[in-house]
Amino acid sequence: MRDRWTDFTLRAPGSRFAGHALLAFVIWILLARLNMIIDAQMSYYLALAAMYATAMFGMTILVGLSGQVSLGNGALMAVGGYVFALTSMHWKTVPILGLPWNAVWSMVFAGLGGIIIGLIIGALGARLRGPYLAGLTLGVAVGIPSIINRYPSLLGGEQGLKLIVPYPEGGYPEQVLSEDAQFDDSALDEFLVDESAVVQAPLEEAAPAEGDLLTLEDAQQGVAQEDLLTLEDAQQGVAQEDLLTLEDAQQGVQDMPTDAPISEATPELATDPSDAFTTASDFVLQQWQASVAIAVACIVGFLALNLVRGRQGRVWQAVRDDPVAAAVIGISPSGGKISAFVVSSMFAALSGAVFAQILTLAAPSAFGLGLSLSLLVGVVLGGRLSLIGAVIGALLIVWLPEWVDSLSAELGMPRQVADNAPNLLYGLLVVAVVLVAPRGIMGGVSGLMSKMRRSSAPPSSG
Amino acid sequence: MGSFLDYFLGGIANGAVIALMALALVLVWRSTRVVNFAQVGQAMFTSFIALTAVNITGSWLIGLIVGIIAGGILGFIVHVLVMRPVRRADASGAIIATFGVLIALQSLAAMIWTAEPRAYPTPIEYAGLTIFGRVVPLTGYDVFVFIVMIVLVLFLTILLTKTKLGLSMRASAFNPEVARLSGVRVSRMLAIGWIIAGMVGAVAGVLIAPISSLSPNTFDIFLVFAFTAAVIGGLDSLVGAVAFGIGTGLILSLVTGYSDASNAPIVALILLALNLWFKPDGAFSHHKARSV
Amino acid sequence: MVKYVLPLTHPLLHVVDVSVTLSGLKILDNVSIGIPEGAVTGLIGPNGAGKTTVFNVISGFVQADSGQVRFDGTRLKHIKTHHLTSMGISRTLQGVGLFPSLTALDNVLLGGSAQVKSGIVADSLAMPWTDVEQRRLRERAYAVMEEMSILDVADRFPSELPYPVQKRVAMARALVSDPKVLLLDEPAGGIGAGDMADLARIIKSWVPNRTVLLVEHHMELVMDVCDLIWVLDAGTVIASGSPEQVRTDPAVLAAYLGEEED
Repeated sequence: MRDRWTDFTLRAPGSRFAGHALLAFVIWILLARLNMIIDAQMSYYLALAAMYATAMFGMTILVGLSGQVSLGNGALMAVGGYVFALTSMHWKTVPILGLPWNAVWSMVFAGLGGIIIGLIIGALGARLRGPYLAGLTLGVAVGIPSIINRYPSLLGGEQGLKLIVPYPEGGYPEQVLSEDAQFDDSALDEFLVDESAVVQAPLEEAAPAEGDLLTLEDAQQGVAQEDLLTLEDAQQGVAQEDLLTLEDAQQGVQDMPTDAPISEATPELATDPSDAFTTASDFVLQQWQASVAIAVACIVGFLALNLVRGRQGRVWQAVRDDPVAAAVIGISPSGGKISAFVVSSMFAALSGAVFAQILTLAAPSAFGLGLSLSLLVGVVLGGRLSLIGAVIGALLIVWLPEWVDSLSAELGMPRQVADNAPNLLYGLLVVAVVLVAPRGIMGGVSGLMSKMRRSSAPPSSG
Repeated sequence: MGSFLDYFLGGIANGAVIALMALALVLVWRSTRVVNFAQVGQAMFTSFIALTAVNITGSWLIGLIVGIIAGGILGFIVHVLVMRPVRRADASGAIIATFGVLIALQSLAAMIWTAEPRAYPTPIEYAGLTIFGRVVPLTGYDVFVFIVMIVLVLFLTILLTKTKLGLSMRASAFNPEVARLSGVRVSRMLAIGWIIAGMVGAVAGVLIAPISSLSPNTFDIFLVFAFTAAVIGGLDSLVGAVAFGIGTGLILSLVTGYSDASNAPIVALILLALNLWFKPDGAFSHHKARSV
Repeated sequence: MVKYVLPLTHPLLHVVDVSVTLSGLKILDNVSIGIPEGAVTGLIGPNGAGKTTVFNVISGFVQADSGQVRFDGTRLKHIKTHHLTSMGISRTLQGVGLFPSLTALDNVLLGGSAQVKSGIVADSLAMPWTDVEQRRLRERAYAVMEEMSILDVADRFPSELPYPVQKRVAMARALVSDPKVLLLDEPAGGIGAGDMADLARIIKSWVPNRTVLLVEHHMELVMDVCDLIWVLDAGTVIASGSPEQVRTDPAVLAAYLGEEED
């Protein structure tokens, strides 16, 4: 049977481009619209999900299509995050071109950084079989944070680099960000949102929560007490004061039951966060972060769609299935493996740049082994071979801990259990998926669908 | 700053535990052709069990024995529940599954024992020995660890190369069909491989714990070190794992001594990358070209 | 049927004095084989004679200790396997060697990889010229699949197809690059009599438009389709010539009788 649909699309050159671009555009419009009607908290989750999806498109290509299990993609995200932070902090003009710098350039350079690192690791990894590659990338995941800590003056050490999120020109938050801006009430609200974003950062960090170091309250009180607080001070407050490292902060959040004592400390913030935000502004920081994350995810998704559904996707699968047979028909096996690494690394770096903007921080603890593991978890759960699977995986990674949190609060589980329940669930789910449905959720769905199609279609000859 | 000799001696105990962990990786690889990335997770978990036993009985030795038994049982459970059912064709799946087990064990340990780092007792005082009237950074405990490792390696070498069990295990790993025809119960041999590896890993864990402290993920870094040592040693070779395990420990100790502890993972990564660049299949393994 | 007089004046593919030693064993000893253009050449011999090693030397899987491979008058040095198809040499693998997770059509399409000029950047942006290129390749793939009568299974995965059909897909994959020389490694291995007759018909229909070198065990097929036959035994050429010549050659009979006794 001819593949009539593809034949049809190929008959009109450019229609594939148009189709994929339209799809990405429609999704972008829908998500951007969604971003405007949900509250700040949801926007934050949306930003995270889009950020994870971006990285997982790369995982689909690397782990799924090209069959190279990588534990290093979290570290590759760090490359993007740091390139973004460094270039946006230090560069005022584009090198060589001399154009004025803006955040888009930082994204471009983050992507380039990913490509370069991907070339290096890919060239090393292309020679390796499965477990050796996994071990090497594990080393990268453990090694890159160490490298970051090696250069504290440039990369900020453990504390990381704090980031000024680049707002659109003329947008409301611009005035908040300019260093000598008046810090009025609405700006304070604005900041609290900002700060909560930092504090609530990556909930899915695999590092199990530590004891009772509950610093969220301290931090917020610290912030609230200071009256004339410029954003920069405030951010330092987040980063340094009260011994609030990012990790502590996360743990602080993880330690909090859903209806935490936070509501007593700062009632106006916690009772219903959306109220405070929406009255202050109709476009808060989280929404801006989410819109950046969505845009990047849609662009990367467009590229991934072109690659996966086009010739390149077949090449990657061929190299994975049988490198010898691939070589015989003119495909360079190492070329195929390296290109998968480069693409995946670029996507990871872009995702990392977005992550840094969501955290307003690029710090080694954010890009540790836990992040790499959660990417692996997401792509395995969603389905290693499909881009929709990557999106499902991203949603799961963001939603599952929330769901487990609320569930454990309902059941009254001890904090120690509740904090670690999401990771336990991830681990068990990964094992279960590998054993029962190696192609993940999406693989299961498409398997069912094709079974239904087969049974409903008239029996074909041959 | 200390002397070269000081750093060298200081690396011995580290090297010995890395060697033991690498040994556990090699044992699993030899019996099932899987790199068990969950090995440190298993070692951590059994060390917690051992610590519980120590706290109850007050005896370090009973802790060790309980840990070894728990290690064997856990190895068996992981093998039977996870690794045996993984489809042979799904090479990535086996690797991913070991990481799934690692995540599950770490979070389970944090649930039961919290994530707080704990001190683990030593059977011998953890203080520098005095040699020729000079206190050296080699502690009695370091010497103890080294001796335990040597004894264990000798025992395993004899077990695997001189006994019928060891030969059956080798046969099952390299040629399951032939082994089966000659009456070897292959699946039992694979399980025994996992059990022994679990026990060796448990010993490694109990010995590491006093040095690094015990928490759900303090052992992670040892996974990288042990993997590096095992790969440089060829993944198949017990002697290679031990030699390069000790070598890795010494190099890392020197790196830590002369520069900074945070350089250790970077150096391990460079060692690993260099080795894999020149020997993509490990230093001591023979490259087998696919027959076409 | 054309009669070839040895030595050939202008072989398209020429293996010259090739020796190969693998782990101490001499696999090929000064083997010279010429493949004339526009004909089907057979390479036969008892098991372990070194037939597949000849293929592997040509494909760059095995490095020759001495001797050379000449193609179209030029010497092939340091053969990189994945460059072969772009030079015009295509081969099938023993068994089928299809990619299990791709459909028959996708497998065949990949056979044209050497013809694809656009790179990964153009692919990632779905540039219109990649569509033009893919469309051309598809038309070619459909034509080859039609020729091999496998067009009706284009959307099936290899595991869903009977073995003889899989072998045809593999041949179509090797053919789609329109090679100057097609190397077939045991095309009849594992297929039944009816499919064998089809296979013979297909291979014969290629003469004189295509040049084929085939390694095969099935004597009937070889005698039926080949214009020229080379016989290897224990790493050396023991006979060559037309099917009739080879059939009656005492050395060949002795070599094959030796195998029967084993």
